[in-house]
Amino acid sequence: MSEFKSGTFIGGEACEGRVLVVDDEPDIRKVVKMTLQKAGYEVLEAENGEKAIEVINSGENRLLLDVVICDIRMPKINGAEAIAYFRTNYPRVPLIVLTGFPDTDMATSFLRQGVVDYLVKPVEGEKLRAAVARAMDQRELARL
Amino acid sequence: MERPRHTKVAIVGAGRGGHALLDLLHRVPSIEIIGIADRNPAALGLQRAHELRIPVVTDVLDLICNHGASLIMDVTDDPEMETYLHAHRPPTADILSGSSSRLLWELVQHEFKLEAELLQSEKLAGIGSFAAGIAHDINNPLQLILGLAENLAEERDLTVVHEQAREIIEAVKRTSAICRDLTRYSRRASPREDVPVSVNGKLDEALRIARYASSFHDIEMIKHYQPGAAVLGNPDELLHVFVNLITNAVHAMEHTRGTLTLETAVLHGEVNVRISDTGCGIAPDKIPEIFEPFFTTKAPGKGTGLGLYNVKTIVNKMHGVIAVDSQIEKGTTFTLIFPNGEPAGQGGLS
Repeated sequence: MSEFKSGTFIGGEACEGRVLVVDDEPDIRKVVKMTLQKAGYEVLEAENGEKAIEVINSGENRLLLDVVICDIRMPKINGAEAIAYFRTNYPRVPLIVLTGFPDTDMATSFLRQGVVDYLVKPVEGEKLRAAVARAMDQRELARL
Repeated sequence: MERPRHTKVAIVGAGRGGHALLDLLHRVPSIEIIGIADRNPAALGLQRAHELRIPVVTDVLDLICNHGASLIMDVTDDPEMETYLHAHRPPTADILSGSSSRLLWELVQHEFKLEAELLQSEKLAGIGSFAAGIAHDINNPLQLILGLAENLAEERDLTVVHEQAREIIEAVKRTSAICRDLTRYSRRASPREDVPVSVNGKLDEALRIARYASSFHDIEMIKHYQPGAAVLGNPDELLHVFVNLITNAVHAMEHTRGTLTLETAVLHGEVNVRISDTGCGIAPDKIPEIFEPFFTTKAPGKGTGLGLYNVKTIVNKMHGVIAVDSQIEKGTTFTLIFPNGEPAGQGGLS
């Protein structure tokens, strides 16, 4: 199927890339994970910005994390704060915003900050996977 | 502050006119209603007077002469009564009767209509700020539904199919509850008779609505409810009171994490409701103004300044009182005290 990039999906082992999903709704983390796992990504979860920062700073994640998908309206450290943190400390990790509330001003401001995509829920699996693939391409460019 | 001079009003006639006058005048601090009289002991307004603890007098002469009335309001629409009053009034008392009294009745009716309009406009203005909350609460389950449906289109494992189909059904139910809550809240308060209302139930309903207006993410909730606490009033209006107070409390804690405490208690035949936050507090010099119309501390376009004014209007209409206790940087507590509205029979609560 087209969602599997040729040659990188080996023996059921996810190796397309490692994606961190930051959302306070367990339901959202679950479906996003399901959608991305099917395309061969390894998916990590965090329930708010604080946890997301913990996750990225733990173990090898700072080296291996490829893409962060982040909600905006969340407890503790909210999405906007988390995104600012990621842009400052991990400028090479591409960010995708996935929010329930379409806000043009906010979208513009995030895209200016270098966010790869601003997606509004509900987003189809295909679009989400395309956005992650674009982010992965950026990640590759950043590595060069 | 200079206290305005009191007008001592005697109301003659306890029909619809007298009833409406009681409701309107008892809320005006500069007016003291010294009593109401009617020949008909079953008159509608007499019952209201009892509720408002306004003296009911059987003898009109006693009412107009012996209690220091400065204004006699005759709403009997009876020419004989008008003549009688003019013949017997003390020289210090003015009389409002006949066509002037009818004019007053028109104005009172108009005032009630305006009040209802004001309440509705303030409510609708507030709903504008719900957009982000509503979008969040609808789009999240939609994402779940879409994700599951996309999976179902390919899923072969029947157990998974069944499980995910059930999840979709539950998500749809949760989402439809949002519309139910919001339509109930946004509708115009029906001008029905007062009914017993469960205070705890209304507080919970108000919490669900207030979540659209503000983020509760970093707020700890404490509830101390006395089971069965009930008041007499209009359920839609009481909901509006609670939504307003809860939203204010949460806004006060916007920049700090905090605790929202909701308490209900039945004490000495009265129902107490307390809504407390641990937020920014209200400056002592602002406290006397908070119930004034158009008072707001919010940025232009963020608040109508009518919230607490309407809250107080409704609470007083329900024969309740509202008090505020606030300390800067510590928090604010609003206490509402209502007469007990426990239903006599098993009529059920709204």
